[in-house]
Formats: sequence, structure tokens, C-alpha cells
Amino acid sequence: MTSTATPATTGLATAARMKGARRKKAPLGEGSSRLHRSEQKWALAFVALPVLGYLLFILYPVLFALYASFTRWNGLGAMEFIGLQNYVTLLGDERFHQSMWNTIFYLLGIPIGLALALALALAMNRRLVGLTVFRTIYYVPVICSIAAIAILWQWAYNGDFGLVNQFLAMIGIDGPNWLSDATWSKPAIVVMMVWKGLGYSMLLYLAAIQAVPRSLLEAAELDGAGAWQRFRAITLPMVRPVTFFLVVTQIIASAQIFAEIQIMTPGGGPEYSTASAVFHIWRQAFQYQQMGYATSMAIVLGILIFIITLIQFRLNKRNSFVLD
Amino acid sequence: MKKSRLTAGVVAGLVVAGTAACSTGGGGSSDGLTFMFRGGDDEKAAYQAAIDRFTEDTGVDVEVVVSDPDNYATQLQASIAGNQVPDVFYIEQANLQAYVNEGILLDITDAVDELGVDLDNIWDYGVDSYRYDGTLQGTPEGRLYGLPKDIGPFAFGYNATMLEEAGVERPDPDVPLAWDDWLEILKEVTVDTDGDGEVDQWGTGLNVQWNLQSFVWSNGGDWTNEDRTEVTVDTPEFAEALQYFTDLTTVHGVTPNPEQAQTLDTYQRFMAGEIAFFPVGPWDMSVYNELDFEYDLMPWPVGSTGETAAWVGSLGIGVSATSDMPDEAVQLVTYLSTDEAAQETLIDANIQIPNRIDTAQEWAAEPDAQPANRQEFLDIAEDYGRAMPAAFTYGAAWYDELWVDIQPVVDGVRPADEYLAEVQPRMQALLDQSNEDAARAAEQNAQND
Repeated sequence: MTSTATPATTGLATAARMKGARRKKAPLGEGSSRLHRSEQKWALAFVALPVLGYLLFILYPVLFALYASFTRWNGLGAMEFIGLQNYVTLLGDERFHQSMWNTIFYLLGIPIGLALALALALAMNRRLVGLTVFRTIYYVPVICSIAAIAILWQWAYNGDFGLVNQFLAMIGIDGPNWLSDATWSKPAIVVMMVWKGLGYSMLLYLAAIQAVPRSLLEAAELDGAGAWQRFRAITLPMVRPVTFFLVVTQIIASAQIFAEIQIMTPGGGPEYSTASAVFHIWRQAFQYQQMGYATSMAIVLGILIFIITLIQFRLNKRNSFVLD
Repeated sequence: MKKSRLTAGVVAGLVVAGTAACSTGGGGSSDGLTFMFRGGDDEKAAYQAAIDRFTEDTGVDVEVVVSDPDNYATQLQASIAGNQVPDVFYIEQANLQAYVNEGILLDITDAVDELGVDLDNIWDYGVDSYRYDGTLQGTPEGRLYGLPKDIGPFAFGYNATMLEEAGVERPDPDVPLAWDDWLEILKEVTVDTDGDGEVDQWGTGLNVQWNLQSFVWSNGGDWTNEDRTEVTVDTPEFAEALQYFTDLTTVHGVTPNPEQAQTLDTYQRFMAGEIAFFPVGPWDMSVYNELDFEYDLMPWPVGSTGETAAWVGSLGIGVSATSDMPDEAVQLVTYLSTDEAAQETLIDANIQIPNRIDTAQEWAAEPDAQPANRQEFLDIAEDYGRAMPAAFTYGAAWYDELWVDIQPVVDGVRPADEYLAEVQPRMQALLDQSNEDAARAAEQNAQND
């Protein structure tokens, strides 16, 4: 019962009981230690539940996937162990490389999205008429179903009747056929991802900006710092934890982009230009019955995401600061 | 005391979890059948009618599981992985071999025979699609693993009203147009109707992935050799067909240009009366019959062979090998595939052609038929229709590979022959792999037996 996680009252009560037991030096002490043991057992039982859940639903599937990645398996029948052959195959699989490159391209949306979100949050932080309305409007895409959004954007990008090209035509630009043009299909998806994620990042930034102590800003102002200097030297470093959180979670999420791709470009886009890594994996697993091979690609993707996240944590540690 | 209660609780929990995970409930509950399919309201209604009659005749209840089309394959695979295979379910041609080799589909040859189903009265293509002899699928000698839900002959059609207004003769239903003659007509009807300087009516507007097949075949080309071991897309016949196909857009301008020509758009443009020639599947009839112009069917225009060609698809209905009630399940399949009342509901909904040949002939001969030349569908079904290139191979990865990088050819920035020569080795490698997988799976299956 020394765990800090134990509620304080239980800890005190146990301590009191133990004190009493020592004072009396009676064989009753055994009784209290029996109680202690019993409590510990119950504690273990409660802990066992999430642990069991973790073993059953996370560790077991992960280990199973790891094994499956070393087999030839169509997802239906028996698995045949083939060692590293799947991994050798994927080294030379151009489509897999292409889908990984596409996925990396999609990550470009993250810095763009964060910069826009921060700018928006700064704007929203002022006292303006209709502020709540704007905040709500920017947050709406976040709560919309991803399938609905993908279909909406598919229409918007239509070369002929699409909203995007109609708008471009108004300012004299002849827009491309976004999703059917290998050059423009990826940027088109990035724009959609940025739009979709803006509201969420903006909300977190807004909260972080409002948490910056006024005293710091006032002190800087007294020292003659301009608006830009205050932003660079105070606000930006103060919201860094939020930036870190957003970058980490968004890289993990963006690296697994799938639904948008499958709905907007069902075949992986012209010349496979929009196929993400997960799309490629899904296609191999469920359309071509190459479950073993697909699993090996999923493992590689998982390891890459893990490494990137690890590097980010390292970098963040080096750059972190403590406010006294 | 406490300890034992605790232990008992944990053990009980594990037992529950264990049994749930390991139960071998293949085939659902033993007091009824489960039928899993995908489709719209028309199909649902039609099948409910057939199922009600089945329940009335046999006293066996049927639980129906409907899935949306996009999720069907994933849902079926999940139910197989979870050992909860529905007794009766839709099966795609391309998955049949894998499902047979993994022991998921029941051999229904004898059961269908005992039920006295007249297979001669169902389209050969529809029945043979679900025959498999352990090596080749689609052969008349193979064992039967399903019956057709329907067959889908993909015919060619035209806007009769538009042709009449342009003073063009209606295409002959029996003599196919040669490519050159057809092109002349296309040029004639591609015009600017409202005089604003922009073309707003086109000859045609085709999608390479779904419409190229006929052009290749009637020009003497094909995707593979006959025993499906060699990819033959790099032949001059194939290249000529693909080049002709893309030239329609990029050289002759008789289709909407690439920006305007996304699949959805040409389909809608045809329905809006802006396009003269467009493919028509049986499932299109329900929508096309409501259009405010007359349309009709014709043979696809022909290349060097002079013989018209079209693809015909099919979806099957199979029985789970682990079903508790295999006899009843097979009987249900025959109701769904051939029951007259159910067929009538589907035909009246204008979404398919009849599975029974005699019914189909009556249907085509109806005096007020719409489209008038319904016979074209039947000709494809029994005469000149062919299976899609990947319908009977072990997976379609090799076939899909052709489409992935084809956009520059469609846009006219890359010659067809150059592209085909480049893609052939990649397709060949994938086909080799699919054939290897098929052989290995068949071998395993043989060992299991």
C-alpha cells in the first residue's frame, strides 16, 4: 500500500491500522496483515482486468501479426512459414515504395495546418463580434463523418462542375482536374486534410494562448517589446507543448490515412499517386488475399511511425524548458 | 473463502472468454439458415419473396444479413475468420477458387442434381462460372460450387432520338459497325447545338477500365493466352485497340475532353441527352427507361476481326461447407437463383435479365419491350459474351496493374504500344505469382481431402 496511486484515505487508514498493530504487539497483528494481503489480492484482481484486456486485444494481435508477417497466408486458410521472404519482397515492391512516398508527402500538411491553426487561434483570441460563430464554423469539419467529408471534397474537386475550379475560374485561373491528374492529386488531398484538422488544432492553440500568463506579456511590453517580439519570445515558446502534442499525434494519424483515399480515389489515384501506405496494405490484404505480405508492410509502417515518434520525444526533451 | 471466490471469478471469466473465442459455430444456429448478401431495396424485396416461399415450403427459417456493396467482401472475410460463415452467401467469380481450396464452399453438384434443377435452362455462362475442376474455373466439366444470382451482359447502346434528329440511320441490330464507319457517325453528331462556340454534344464518352475489353477482343487481342499463363497485352492487336480507343478523345475529339470526362460525368451526360453512344448494362434499365429520349441496344463496333465482343459478369450464390443444414441451404440457393416469382420481381424492377432461358426469351420478345432490342442482352449471354479477363484467375492484382498507370495514355501524352510494352512484364510477374498461389492452394486442398 505504498503506491502513490492509492487514494490518500486508504493509505492513511492502512498506516493507522499498522501503527495500532505495532503498539499492541498482539497476535491480532497477523489478522491485519491478512486483511492487507486480501486487499492486495483484490487490488490485483482489479488491475488484472485491464492487463488481461491489453494482453488479449493488443499484445496478442501484435504478436500474431508479427508471426503472420513471416508467413504466406491468404487470410483464410493455413499459414505457411516463409521466414523473411515477405520483407525481401517489399524491398523491391515499387508500389509499396510509392505508397510510402505518398504518405510522407501527406505529412507536409501538418506544418501548413499548424501554422494556419496558430494564426487562426491568435485571431480568435481577440474580442470580435460573432467570435463563437467563427469558432463553431471552424470546428464543424472535426465532428463530421470522414466519409461524408471525402465525398463532399470529391465533388468539390470535380474538374468540370467542382466548386474549387468554379472558384478558380472566377479569379481567372483554369484549374486542373484535381483527382485525375497525377501532379495535383496529392496536393488536393493535403488541402482537404488541412481543412479537416484545422478546427481541432485551433482549439488547442486557443486554450494554450489563453493560458499564457498576462504578467509575462505585460512585463515584456513595459520593456518595450513590440507585438511581433512578444509573440516570438513569449507566446510561441509557451505554446510549444501543444505544438509538440499536435505534431506527434498528427504524424501518427496522417501516416495511417486511409478512408479519404479509398473514397476519393478508389483505385489509388492516377498512376497510384494518392495511394497511402495503409491503402496499399488494405488492397493487398483484402482485395488480393495477400494477408501475410500485407502484414509485413504494416509491421514496417508501424516500426517507422514508432521511430519517428521516438526521435520527436528526444528532440522535445532537448528543447523543453521549465517555467519557475 | 475469499481467495476461492476470487479464483473462481477469474476462472469463470477466462472460461467465458475462451469459449467465446473458440466456439466453432460455423453455419449459425441449427434451427435456421443465415443468408448474407449485398444489394439495394429491389433485391432485398425480391429475395424476401423467394425466402418467404422457401420458408413456407420447407418450414425452415432464414435470417437475412444485408451488407452494403463496398463492405461485403470485408464482412464476409471477417465472418470466415471468426468461424461464423453464413450458410448461404454471395460469391464473386474471382474468389471462388480460393474459397473452394480453403474448404469454405460446399460442393453442391449432387445436391442440385437431386433437387431436379434443370441447369440446361440457366445460362451456361452463369452455371459454368461456378464450376471448378481443381485447376481451371469456368469449365463445363468442373464440380459445381454455386449458382448464379444473375449474369450481367454489358451491351452497347445509343440515343435513338438524337440519331434521328441528326439524320443518322439507326444501327443495325445484327450487323456491327466497323470502327471507321462508327467514327464517321461520331464525328457527325459531335456538334455545338446552341451556337455558343463550344461543343456540347458528343459521339461517345467511354471509360477505359470498363469499356476497353470489347475493342481489344474484336480486334483479335486479349489479356492472356487461353490457359491464362501468359499476359498478352503487348501484342499489336491490343495496342491498336487501345490507341483507337484513346484517339477518339485526343485526336478526333468525339468525346468530352479529359477534364470533362470523368466516368460519372459521361454517364450523366448520356442521361442528359448530350452523348450519342454509351454502354448499357441490365442494371441500367431501371434508370434509362425513365429518360426523356428513346434508347436502344446494338452490337459493339468492331475492329479487324469483324466479330463483335462484350464482357458478361456474374455474381454467384454459394453454400458454406460448415453449414449444419447443407441440404436446406442448397435448396435455398435454387430458390434464390431460379424461383419464378423471385425472378419476376427482379425482372420487373428492371435490374437484371432473367436467369431462366425460357423466361428470358419471352421477356425479350415482349411487344412493348424497352429497350426494344432486349435480344442483344441475350445474344451476349449465350453467344458472344466473354468473362472479364481476371474473372477466373486467382486474384486480380495482375489485371488491375494495367489501369494504375494508364492515365497518360488516355490523355494522349504516351503512345499505347510503348506503355503496353512497359507494363507487360509487371503484369506477367503478378500473374505468375497468382498462378503459383493457385497451384499451392490446390495442392494443400488435395492434401486436406
